[in-house]
Amino acid sequence: MASVCEWMRRLWGTLSRNRRDSEMEEELRLHLELASEDMARRGDSTEDALRAARLKEGGVSQAMDAMRDQRGLPWLDDLTLDVRHALRSLRNSPSFTAVAVLTLALAIAGNTVVFGVVDAVLLRPLPYQSAEQLAMLWTEDPTQNLREGRSACWNVEQWRSQNQVFADIAVFDGVSTTLMGTDGAEKIVGGSISPNLLPLLGVQPVHGRSWSSEEAELRQRLVLISHRFWQARFGGSTDAVGATIVLDGFPFQIIGVLPAGFQIATLDADVYTMSEEWQTRHTVRGGNTWFVVGRLRPSVTFDHAQAEMSAIARRLNDQAPAAERNRGISVVPLSLYIVGPQSRLALWMLGGAVFCVFLIAAANITSLSLARSIGRAREMAVRATLGASAGRIVRQLLTESIVLAAVSGLIGTMLAFGGLRLIRVFGPADLPRLNEVSLDLRVLGWALAISLLAGILVALAPAIATLRRDLRPSVQEGGKSVSGGTSTRRIRRALVVAEFALAIVLLVGAGLLVRSWWHVNGIDPGFRPERVLMMELSSPTAFSVLTQRTDLYHRALEQIQAVPGVESAGAIGDLFIANSREQVVTIERDDGAFSERLRFRRDEVSADFFKAIGTPLLRGRFLSIGDGPDAPPVVVINDAMARRSWPGQDPVGRRLKLGPRDSDRPWYTVVGVVGDMRRQGLEREPVPQIFESLAQNAPRSVDLFIRTSSDDPLSMAGAVRAAIRRVEKNAPIYGVAPLADQFGTYLEQRRFQTSLLTGFSVLALLMAGVGLYGLIHYSVATRTREIGIRIAVGARPAHIFRMIVREGLQLSAAGLALGLVGALWLGRAGASLLYGVTASDPFTFTTVSLLLTAVAAGGCYFPARRAMKVAPMAALRQE
Amino acid sequence: MQGTLDLMVMQTLATLGPLHGYAIAARLEQVSSGAVRLNMGTLYPALMRLEQRGFVRGEWNVTENNRKARFYGITAAGRRQLTRQKEDWGRTVSIMQAVLGEQG
Repeated sequence: MASVCEWMRRLWGTLSRNRRDSEMEEELRLHLELASEDMARRGDSTEDALRAARLKEGGVSQAMDAMRDQRGLPWLDDLTLDVRHALRSLRNSPSFTAVAVLTLALAIAGNTVVFGVVDAVLLRPLPYQSAEQLAMLWTEDPTQNLREGRSACWNVEQWRSQNQVFADIAVFDGVSTTLMGTDGAEKIVGGSISPNLLPLLGVQPVHGRSWSSEEAELRQRLVLISHRFWQARFGGSTDAVGATIVLDGFPFQIIGVLPAGFQIATLDADVYTMSEEWQTRHTVRGGNTWFVVGRLRPSVTFDHAQAEMSAIARRLNDQAPAAERNRGISVVPLSLYIVGPQSRLALWMLGGAVFCVFLIAAANITSLSLARSIGRAREMAVRATLGASAGRIVRQLLTESIVLAAVSGLIGTMLAFGGLRLIRVFGPADLPRLNEVSLDLRVLGWALAISLLAGILVALAPAIATLRRDLRPSVQEGGKSVSGGTSTRRIRRALVVAEFALAIVLLVGAGLLVRSWWHVNGIDPGFRPERVLMMELSSPTAFSVLTQRTDLYHRALEQIQAVPGVESAGAIGDLFIANSREQVVTIERDDGAFSERLRFRRDEVSADFFKAIGTPLLRGRFLSIGDGPDAPPVVVINDAMARRSWPGQDPVGRRLKLGPRDSDRPWYTVVGVVGDMRRQGLEREPVPQIFESLAQNAPRSVDLFIRTSSDDPLSMAGAVRAAIRRVEKNAPIYGVAPLADQFGTYLEQRRFQTSLLTGFSVLALLMAGVGLYGLIHYSVATRTREIGIRIAVGARPAHIFRMIVREGLQLSAAGLALGLVGALWLGRAGASLLYGVTASDPFTFTTVSLLLTAVAAGGCYFPARRAMKVAPMAALRQE
Repeated sequence: MQGTLDLMVMQTLATLGPLHGYAIAARLEQVSSGAVRLNMGTLYPALMRLEQRGFVRGEWNVTENNRKARFYGITAAGRRQLTRQKEDWGRTVSIMQAVLGEQG
């Protein structure tokens, strides 16, 4: 307690000098006087007494020093002195300070923003209890090229009862749900989950409760709602718990509200109901497939879990039907599922890139302050002569650069605050967890750490140079000529080479991504999304008969087509798809009918679907209204299917059927072949597809596509909606958007990565250019005398120009060579982010090299011009 | 020894009441028959430290021959500290004596 008190007072003493020097001195003087009087009383003469007293009591100034040390905190005293000195010295060279602060602030801001994103998306644990123990469990089948496949409840129960590694395993799935409200039916996102899922995740409702085990057994109609749904529908009132809502035609009682922001992996539903299939998991085989999540027992590793689940899979395969004998189970950490390897790689790449920008910025400032330190050699020499130790001088240099970095860090953090807000708004919507980005303590801590690192890095080289140099002689030299500058220059040249090497690595990366972007952008999706309006239409829950739905879609499309400004309208079960399934089909060819397992996609489309979406007909005909329920079953296939199943033959007129040759499914006749559509994303190769007639098999809901004559298709939404309402009031309409927008989300992450990396690399290149300019400029300035002599003895200006430019280009060439090697080496690691180019794309490498050389030449041009114009006499008179 | 110096100063102030620096030094020298000689560089930082810790308080006043001096007096916290330190010191001394006696 007493020592805390002492420290507080000493801190206060440092800040306020609460006991004045004069006061302390007075006290000491009195002491001496009294001492000498005592001596005099013992018989010494006054003078002798004073001398004896001094001898005995020690000098006043030494005692003063000791008291000053005790009064404050000596190191803090020195520090405030250093900081004051640093501020003064920075103020004395405003242009250096401005350049340094601006560069560093930008670099710190960039690093802080990217760290904020990396932290939110990759580093922070998921919002579940002990999230690192959570895993997704997938069914795999290498023979069917099935990865990350979902699993049936029956299988999950087998895994659950046989394993020793998981504390529990649960299932979930998103289901499109109709909510009946006062103003008509509405589509919302529902989650169907096994009752053990919430305890498994360690999540509890913020209001109300979860299902009890009896309720789960009895399959009561009880629902949990999301925080968002609660706010929107019930205004956050606790009355919500106990209220009843109508979902898919059945009344459900709300028993709980989940925490804000809760979602299960990537499923973010409005309402959560109990999975009914889960209750029959012991008895019913097959059925729907579900997402499966498990919690590892404490201290079980993922490797261990994977080994055990693989063993279980082998055991199950022995008892399984023939078609399911090659199944495997893969265990994937939940975090890795939520943010996939591609996004991870891209983010780490961006993080690395922005750190390179930071290093280049720091190198530039180091180089500048090295140049400055030579100019300040005299100042340092004076201080050394006056008794400052080398350590003291280095400490002052360090303080100076830390002050610089602190100012930059402050400005950089403010910039980062704005940057992070921009990212939250304009970042790619499909990058998971991006909404969690914020300037929190962790991010601020990072900003602080990187600022401190900047301060140390910038001080390092000048400090070493100062230590190496013998400080004293330059006092005599009058500070004009430069002594000991060679090692400084060597460091600066090395820094410029490193800057160029880093810049080239970034540029190559950006170049490759830009090239990939061009390729991806140029991909023909197989349809024309411009001027097309997209919406989803569900048939009312009461429509259980096929013909009711067929009729609804048919009449709705008729009405829509009658709306002025609508060119054509079509419907498909689902346009954008995640996965295709492998099924057995029987194909009729020239040489007979063959059954084969085939990964393909089967959809139902309306007659004008292809016309509305703009997919070309390659052979035969489109489906027509005539292909109704009573007409012979027909299909249209895509080109990929034609090439796969009828290589070199014309498929039109051939037949195929689902299932093996002896199955009792009907034969479909192929009536047409259409172009391939990329429905799984632009960068995924199209899979074989079969299109049935919507009139022959109508799903519960469809995607509608309306080709309009308007460049803003959304303006037609009202008229189209009204047309559908005329046919059926109770059919939910949702997801209204221009098709081009839907399509744009495919490109968002790539756009984000490409634009950010390009920005960083341009910044890096400019900084490297400025660094080279600074070095050459300085080199010309210090060699004015030498250049003057050269000109005086007959060197032509062009010769001088070449000499200077050569110096610069040598450096950039060295950087280029190093950087290209680095880019080749790193390119392989990032290859999975590329599309349509190889990591060693010669075009990119050449362009980037030329660009860099041009910037380097620009950096040398102006100093070289200046060197050419040196007047020999003036230069010689300089000293 | 920093601890012993503090102890001696506080003991002096506790017995004699407020004193200025020179008087403390003179008194200590007298009591110890010249064995303890404190120069200014030792005494005044120590007084300052004791003041910072709240064990003594300094005040400007006049001496009997009318000179301005800073007088130091022990505080209540100082007295408590003094009692505690004296006990510690006594214990240390008796332990040392026991140990040294054993060896002898």
